[in-house]
Amino acid sequence: MKPSRIAAVLGMIGIGLLLASSVAAQLKSPDDDKTALRLLVQVSNDFKRQINAKNFPRIPHEFMEYTEASDALRAAVKDEPADFKAKVETRLKAAVAEYKKISDMSANSPDADKLMAEHAKAVAAMNALFDLFPADLRPDPNAPPPGRRGAAAK
Amino acid sequence: METEPRRTRGMGIASLSAAGDARRRVLFGLAALLSPLCGCGRKRESEPKVIDLYVASDGDFLAFKPDELTCPAGATVRLTFHHAGRILTTRHNWILTYPDKVEALTKEAEDDDGILPKDEPRVIAATPLCDKGMSVMVQFVAPPPGDYPYICSTHPEDMTGVLHVTK
Repeated sequence: MKPSRIAAVLGMIGIGLLLASSVAAQLKSPDDDKTALRLLVQVSNDFKRQINAKNFPRIPHEFMEYTEASDALRAAVKDEPADFKAKVETRLKAAVAEYKKISDMSANSPDADKLMAEHAKAVAAMNALFDLFPADLRPDPNAPPPGRRGAAAK
Repeated sequence: METEPRRTRGMGIASLSAAGDARRRVLFGLAALLSPLCGCGRKRESEPKVIDLYVASDGDFLAFKPDELTCPAGATVRLTFHHAGRILTTRHNWILTYPDKVEALTKEAEDDDGILPKDEPRVIAATPLCDKGMSVMVQFVAPPPGDYPYICSTHPEDMTGVLHVTK
């Protein structure tokens, strides 16, 4: 590879890192943001598990936990600029509404297949919320949690 | 009258260096042989080794910290479990089971929403369920040497660890 091309590649990498770090640096509480986003994924995975296990009575409790994780995200971004907070709130409300729908359906007409279809929509709404945050703060919604399942998946 | 006992004692001390030395060895030997039979030394054996262990949830995340603990076999273990969560209202506990029973116990815990019967034979030791910010304790005698899995009954697939029981 020519030295000029190597320099260009290194320059691109440097600019990329600079941009990523500057976005992350803009956030006031990145650790709290990251924790809240991870908790949203964790509870979302619990929804999925309870649906697969047909443990429908448990799902409203999962929804309660989802709202708690949502409140943690609101608290984490409370010092951010108003326009960013407004974007987060809009997408967070949309995601919470999707998970509430699953909770309501599980109580009224529990059907694992339909609930799983709704869960996929809810995950899409949650991912739209995550898109507002820098990539290094975003958890992988499909990553298994730690523990035996996580270890088995490695 | 005064000199007689002194002489006797003096003679006794002197005689230890000669004939008494062998007699002393015999006495010590007998004492060593008989001591386990008459109870000497039993106190030390009956004193159980007490081990304090500490384990917590990984904040609100579904994991134990640490996920490996160690204690010697037969020790009295005092284990404290702390629910380090601050956000989610879910409850956790710490349950020690046998390596070949963990799968069945996990399934039962999932089917029964984390509630296990008190006399569950597959459970070696268990703390009560614990709310966020709280600590609970359990005391038990460490089982024979081996690796014993521990789980949280409300999240048995995710919150897992191993107690290494050494000889």
